Amino acid sequence: MRAIFAVVKRLLASNKISFILTALVALCATSSGEVVLSNGNYTWLLATLSPFFFVFYDFTKLMHLGASKKAYYMGCLISYGILALCISLANTAVHLLIDPAYSAQRVINLMDVCRWTENGLLLAALQQMVFLLLVMVFLHVLLSMQAHWYGWLTDAVLAAIICIFTPIAPLRRILAGFFRLIMLNGNAAAHIGICLLLSAALSLGGLAVLKRKTL
Amino acid sequence: MIELKQVTKQYGQAAVLKNITLSIDEPGIYCLLGRNDAGKTTLLKSVAGYQNITSGTIQVNGKRISTAALDTGVSYIENFAKHFPLPVQKLLRIASEVNPSYDYDFALEMMDRFELDGKKKFNHLSLGMKTMVSTMICLASSRDVILLDEPVLGFDAIMRVEFYDLLAESFQRHPRTIIVSTHIIEEIAKTIQKLIIIDKGSIRFFDTLQAVETKAFSVSGLQKDVEAATSGLNVIGQDAVGGLVTRYLFDKAPEQTASLEIHPLSLQDFFIQMVGHKGGAAK
Repeated sequence: MRAIFAVVKRLLASNKISFILTALVALCATSSGEVVLSNGNYTWLLATLSPFFFVFYDFTKLMHLGASKKAYYMGCLISYGILALCISLANTAVHLLIDPAYSAQRVINLMDVCRWTENGLLLAALQQMVFLLLVMVFLHVLLSMQAHWYGWLTDAVLAAIICIFTPIAPLRRILAGFFRLIMLNGNAAAHIGICLLLSAALSLGGLAVLKRKTL
Repeated sequence: MIELKQVTKQYGQAAVLKNITLSIDEPGIYCLLGRNDAGKTTLLKSVAGYQNITSGTIQVNGKRISTAALDTGVSYIENFAKHFPLPVQKLLRIASEVNPSYDYDFALEMMDRFELDGKKKFNHLSLGMKTMVSTMICLASSRDVILLDEPVLGFDAIMRVEFYDLLAESFQRHPRTIIVSTHIIEEIAKTIQKLIIIDKGSIRFFDTLQAVETKAFSVSGLQKDVEAATSGLNVIGQDAVGGLVTRYLFDKAPEQTASLEIHPLSLQDFFIQMVGHKGGAAK
């Protein structure tokens, strides 16, 4: 466990650029008018940036320091959990404390858009956390695959799904249904369960990818 | 401890490792010698589980090694290893944290011995010092198998001598299997127990240095005398200048006669003859 927590510490410490970029965007973003975007939304940027650093920057260096693949992967998953919790807490705090201070009539926070706040802020924060965890694990797996042919194939399949499913109405409904399940879901128990299940399935997929990863 | 059975590695049609079978049973310092592109790095990376082989099996302490092994028990370092741009001391500490059973005291001791400024960032070090830090990280790991790929690249003569002492000291502290790949043959001879020569993806030689000292000879003289003296012996190479012939043997020494000059082969000459190329001359 010591090795895993050391990896977590290093992953988070070497993720400074993601933290700084997210903080800059969240603090400096402005919008005006009657309907404005909450600055808390931009905290999600951290969830999309971190996997890039973990996969492309940290892996080789940690291996050269003598970490095992097992410690690296467990460290990544724990770090994603910690980041998801922190991002969720930050956005919830913004939603609770800063959003009401806007002079605009309507402040759009993604927690509202996704209907998570219907269940109270505590559950909403939890829903947000598991969703962000899913996003980070998904990105980690997708990025890890990029060195292999099946990574490119997955990219092509994902692009094809979006391009084909979006313009055709019946297919669009399927796509929308999927996003309603994993994101725009007001049913907290179902949403948390689905996100955790998908995260677990993707983590197993990520493990298979890691087992093929060369150095 | 390390067992390779019919290991082949191909990149497309090109075979980099060709049907290698090798068993390293005893702890010791082993030297892996080979020319450029002989397959040294591929072999070491395969044993470390950093890349997959095309066919065959590799086992370390009974555990099958491939990229799928999440913890191989092998520590490998290449000469241009990338590290976090952090102070050396911090790097060593992180290595001790991510590595169970890491000898942090030994790493610090090495840092002092090589007069490395612990506060200097890794990316600000010279090539030789970077290699030294990577080697220190690898050697301080108390894993059963240590693989050092060209560790003396970029070292000056004094650093190389220090490194060989360090290697011996590390082995005394934690007896285990250490394989060092290098081009600089003679210098490492005092430190190693066994020699592995790889050429064009095949193992050409795996034995003790003592075997080289007692069995490797050059026999020079007139062609007919040399041929008569070396007939039936294991000839590994031959040079001819005018009517004079020199044959290189790896066998018992032929009987000394007045017409023959017999000399033991240096390690470097032995290596050159084993891999069969010298200054473009045909073997």
